[in-house]
Amino acid sequence: MNTSDLDGRRVGLYAVLFGLVAFYLLPLEIGLVTSLKTDPLASLPFAPPAAGSFTLEEWGRAFTALKSGLVNSLLLAVPATILSAGLGSMAAYGLTTLQWRGQVGVFTLFIAGIFIPYQAVLLPVSRFWATYAPLEEWLAVLWLLPGLEAYHGELLSLIITHVAYGIPICTLLFRTYYKELSGEMVEAAKLDGATAYTIYRRVILPLSVPMFAVTLIYQFTQIWNDLLFALVIMGPGDGAPVTVGLTNIGSSLTNLGFGVKMAGAFIAALPTMVVYVLFGEQFAEGVAS
Amino acid sequence: MAELVLDGVTKHFDDDGDRIVAVDDASIDIEDGEFLVLVGPSGCGKSTTLRMVAGLETVSGGELRLDGTDISDRAPADRDVAMVFQSYALYPHMTVRENMAFGLEESTDMADDVIDERVSETAEMMGIEELLERKPRELSGGQQQRVALGRAIVRDPEVFLMDEPLSNLDAKLRSTMRTELQRLQENLGVTTVYVTHDQTEAMTMGDRIAILNDGRLQQVATPLEAYHAPANEFVAGFLGEPSMNFFDASVEDGSLITDQFTYPLSEDTLDDLGGADDVRLGVRPEDIELVEKPVGDHDYAVTVDVVEPLGDENNVYLEFDLDTEGEGAGRTFTAAVDGTHPVAAGDELGARIPESAIHIFDVDSGVALHNRERDPDEQVIPQ
Repeated sequence: MNTSDLDGRRVGLYAVLFGLVAFYLLPLEIGLVTSLKTDPLASLPFAPPAAGSFTLEEWGRAFTALKSGLVNSLLLAVPATILSAGLGSMAAYGLTTLQWRGQVGVFTLFIAGIFIPYQAVLLPVSRFWATYAPLEEWLAVLWLLPGLEAYHGELLSLIITHVAYGIPICTLLFRTYYKELSGEMVEAAKLDGATAYTIYRRVILPLSVPMFAVTLIYQFTQIWNDLLFALVIMGPGDGAPVTVGLTNIGSSLTNLGFGVKMAGAFIAALPTMVVYVLFGEQFAEGVAS
Repeated sequence: MAELVLDGVTKHFDDDGDRIVAVDDASIDIEDGEFLVLVGPSGCGKSTTLRMVAGLETVSGGELRLDGTDISDRAPADRDVAMVFQSYALYPHMTVRENMAFGLEESTDMADDVIDERVSETAEMMGIEELLERKPRELSGGQQQRVALGRAIVRDPEVFLMDEPLSNLDAKLRSTMRTELQRLQENLGVTTVYVTHDQTEAMTMGDRIAILNDGRLQQVATPLEAYHAPANEFVAGFLGEPSMNFFDASVEDGSLITDQFTYPLSEDTLDDLGGADDVRLGVRPEDIELVEKPVGDHDYAVTVDVVEPLGDENNVYLEFDLDTEGEGAGRTFTAAVDGTHPVAAGDELGARIPESAIHIFDVDSGVALHNRERDPDEQVIPQ
């Protein structure tokens, strides 16, 4: 009686769990098999490619179309992520661990920054970069250097925009974390002769690793997936990141391009998954703290 | 080695325009090599005082002098003091060796191998040399405590500051560390200021103790002096466990009249009172003797209410046998008697309060008017 009762509950539990797995994985499975078929409309969406219709051609085409976008996205997302996390950490240290007059007011400004919607700043930001701070013209001499192109100036504008937008949320995350650190430990470091800077570098920064994992994953995903700022600030030019490239893919072809679109989506999403896998453990630790 | 002087040190915090005085005009001269214990109930300002000496709090008034030099405005790093915190405050990401080396690396320009040697020497002295490569989280509470001490010692400062360093240890380890800390301090001869709320630590560890209450310094004296010749009622009540019995009394016809009993005083004692009318009589539980029947002037008929056996001694709660149901009925007081003394709840006995052991305080100011007689070579072992 008792054991059968338990078995009944177990069966129910596993049924629900398998249902959830299917719910989450089915779209991915459909995307994957669609990208591998020569004619996606010839068979059911979730059926694997039939013997004669398997192809990697769509992946090849998608990769060729997105290659420069991938490079641009990496050039954009890696520095922007590191800068926003690093600056957020420093700002949080200055606003939390150090004591000075007026810090509450400054922190309030940071918090307000989190709640400014993208749409509200689109026009001012594009005007700012186009009219008031045309980095492409200002740094013109740099583009003569080998390996650098004029569109890198646009990428730089985008990096700065993303960093500015990312600092408030990073600061908030780090501040929450730093508040939990022992105040006596910081005082001990002060008595040990450490300056505000060495306390940050030798005590606070090494202890921030879990929170860096959280902010790096979060910011990288945000910046990598952003389409709005990329479209408004640079449009579909040479410097366009992968998200902009993805919107164009398949549209110029005669067929509907399901396969190449699916393959492109996978290619564009891959780096964010790699980041999750790399920092997953520290991420869990950071979220748990 | 240095002499530390607190000269009228004051600290106040501003709370929405209200001034909250945390430490009020505290003056203590701490001699070179002395072990001074700052003791008092929570919120009395003892930690604030220590933090001012460390430089972690600014000084609102008065002066701090180290060997005659005013250090009130110096940064913590420039005061040549080392502090041991209640939470140990070790750097969790560093090994024990790195924890101990940190202060020398940051505050001196010693070469790495010299630092390394000093860390190893200190670790050996503290008996933690086999822990040097471990991280704090791999250590027990007692080991972390030792590392925190070692981190302070390796700096070879002029003054050690300790903020309740033993309060996170279990009772047994605490008493071991108490002895060890004392021995260490004596060997090193470094001026030490030790903050605690635990009166056992205060009594046993300090060369002198400074008792604080409400931000005011009550008395600075050797432990025995503070115990037997308290400056006021607060000190008398704070030191000693179980604490001193107090009875409100008025002086009439050469006797103390309380709600429960009349206590005749000798001429000498009366002289000490200087004509005061309202006083408070104090007597320590261990000075009350239990006799079979009240016979003398200072013997009173009592009934045993509760007995708390502690093994070596019994705390006996006594109730006066009163003829009338007056105001003082039901008032109990405590006597501490030898553990082998046969006594049980309900026993009717006599309680003798020897005149040589009484303290008398002024009711309003709390100042001691008369303290007990003292044997010149007395010894006290609290608890």
